[in-house]
Amino acid sequence: MILLQSPSRYLLQILSTRVQNLEKGVELDCQWIEFDDVRYHIQASTKNPNLLVLSVSLPTPPPETVFFGGLPPEAIEAIKAAYGTVVHILDPPKDGFNLTVKLNLSKLPPDEEHRQALLGKIASIREVVQGAPLRAVLKQLVSRTVKSDLNKLISLVHRPNESFFVVPQADKVTVVFPMRFKDSIDSILATSFLQEFVDARRTAGLGNAPHYLWSPSPPQELEGAPAEALLANAGFVSFVISPRHVQGRKLDKTVWSLSTFHAYVSYHVKCSEGFMHTRMRRRVESLIEALDRAKPDWKKVKRAVQTRSFKRLSINDGRATSNSRN
Amino acid sequence: MDAAGSRPAVVIDNGTGYTKTGFAGNVEPSFILPTVVAVNESFVNQSRASSKKGSNWLAQHSAGVMADLDFYIGEEALTRSKSSSTYNLSYPIKHGQVDNWDAMERFWQQCIYNYLRCDPEDHYFLLTESPLTAPESREYTGEIMFETFNVPGLYIAVQPVLALAAGYTTSKCEMTGVVVDVGDGATHVVPVADGYVIGSSIKSIPVAGKDVTRFIQQLMRERGEHIPPEESLEVARKVKEMYCYTCSDIVKEFNKHDKEPAKFVKQWRGTKPKTGAPYSCDIGYERFLGPEVFFNPEIYSNDFITPLPEVIDKCIQSAPIDTRRALYKNIVLSGGSTMFKDFNRRLQRDLKKIVDARFELSDARIRGEVKARPVEVNVVSHPIQRNAVWFGGSVLASTPEFFKACHTKAEYEEYGASICRTNPVFKGMY
Repeated sequence: MILLQSPSRYLLQILSTRVQNLEKGVELDCQWIEFDDVRYHIQASTKNPNLLVLSVSLPTPPPETVFFGGLPPEAIEAIKAAYGTVVHILDPPKDGFNLTVKLNLSKLPPDEEHRQALLGKIASIREVVQGAPLRAVLKQLVSRTVKSDLNKLISLVHRPNESFFVVPQADKVTVVFPMRFKDSIDSILATSFLQEFVDARRTAGLGNAPHYLWSPSPPQELEGAPAEALLANAGFVSFVISPRHVQGRKLDKTVWSLSTFHAYVSYHVKCSEGFMHTRMRRRVESLIEALDRAKPDWKKVKRAVQTRSFKRLSINDGRATSNSRN
Repeated sequence: MDAAGSRPAVVIDNGTGYTKTGFAGNVEPSFILPTVVAVNESFVNQSRASSKKGSNWLAQHSAGVMADLDFYIGEEALTRSKSSSTYNLSYPIKHGQVDNWDAMERFWQQCIYNYLRCDPEDHYFLLTESPLTAPESREYTGEIMFETFNVPGLYIAVQPVLALAAGYTTSKCEMTGVVVDVGDGATHVVPVADGYVIGSSIKSIPVAGKDVTRFIQQLMRERGEHIPPEESLEVARKVKEMYCYTCSDIVKEFNKHDKEPAKFVKQWRGTKPKTGAPYSCDIGYERFLGPEVFFNPEIYSNDFITPLPEVIDKCIQSAPIDTRRALYKNIVLSGGSTMFKDFNRRLQRDLKKIVDARFELSDARIRGEVKARPVEVNVVSHPIQRNAVWFGGSVLASTPEFFKACHTKAEYEEYGASICRTNPVFKGMY
């Protein structure tokens, strides 16, 4: 897996098993959390198996980001446009959540293909809701409508109390991410990763990719952003999105990749740490083997390795240790 | 408490056959995946060759990505390995013990990022281990969790204790009992007194779910059913999961099957993977003979011939004398291979027979001078038995005490992996 997928696997699984066993209609009540602190809660009762109540909570926005009625701007319109009659927004949302919707499974399209597509779309509800403002900005880029707030800094939330910034211009949109990592090792790995991106962008095959910049200090686009938003221990990343990156079906993909960019980098940092561990383990094994070979009777040693070693203590040893602990 | 404490913990129960994973506070695990990783190793050797020839960035990149990220877990792994020969299956856990740490680390990585899709830095983790896990492997687990995934806190729980804790929500909270954990790769009989494992009395037997599958496969092959050889283990597993039951008496059951074949003999239909041609076969005696390997192991193997009820009895007899009555009273089943119909009844009946025989013997010896209280034998079976360990973990991890019992990242950084070495439920063992 290289890219994070946009539909939530678990939600999709719940929905498709539900649709398949609609007549059974078991009671359902579960909640889970995805990366970037997006929480889900889904409920269904035996009374009306067609109805599911899904609540979603988004990461808490930092002070510079504006939410309208607990949701990012344009989110309500985006939900209505994406799902039509299947989804009905409940107002007010459940306590502790930003959005509660009622799913009516009886209104799903009858043919299998469309139904699966719509279920997948419902499972990617976070992309629809969280990506709504970004999608609106990028859509303006496609339609080339001149907007009043040109060159104005827009901040969008992507992690709890953290936001990234979008600067719409006439023929391009600049997206700037301040990259922060909790762990010092993570931030070093991520920094080298992000620097590597600059080189990677220059290779022949990637000529059509968005322009990419990394700098350790805030780029000039971020002038006027609040001071605490300008602290980042892994530098600042900016993408320049031009109209060809958001044409047609590419729009959804671009919105998803941009709004989960931090999660993507963090996933790959963890993967490379895992890969390093693998290689370290292999190295240790080969060193141990070399050491064993140096022993005069290494064949015997090899046999001993296979039996599991337990440090068996006698009762007296056990007492001694427990006494020393007291 | 930090922010991670307010989020539900992630509970991952790694079993030999299936891994159960989900968030604490739910009744069911989110995902039940076969514990298997399909790795593409064809790129590993290529990368070395190409890197020598000067640095072609793209080649290096794709080789790196392939070696690093081109693998699948769970059902996806099984389908991938079937459809193409570039993927090799590896089973990270053997007989309840982690065998291949590389595969295990990758499995966890996909579990967390691809299935649960959570950020491991945001959640406390509860992992499980079999009661016979070596302290070294616990250290390894801690190392991977803290170093690779940066988890804020980790608790490694012992499976049988969690299985007992699964009954916690019912009216009484009984933490004394014998857990009979029959998984796919290992069978353990573990006595637990007041939440502490009596380590010296743990018994494990070499008959588990996998052996039932193999036995069914063998029976069907011997009868000459036309199953393609590459499918036969898979078919045997499905037959075990869908049709097997426990009988009360083999001879009677044979008679029943012979008298009314229409009622008892089932049909299995499938398609051959190579040609796509359909085939069908009968499922007969293996329906009850499969689970019978626990009660009469001599029909399956020559090395091990002690029936499961006898092992349980021995286990309880070796436990401290003041706990025995309580242990007989609460025998808890857990694991997928105890899901056969009437497994609990058969176990209870056989065990009761052994206990009663001994009781009468001692009664005759005393000759009625003192009347002893009869021993109560009770095998408990509950609906969530299959995922009892996971559910117990979910219950445990949603209590506020859980977060205090965890090893934290700060502790790990201060003392190293040795903090995971001992488990408090084995009090006085190490």
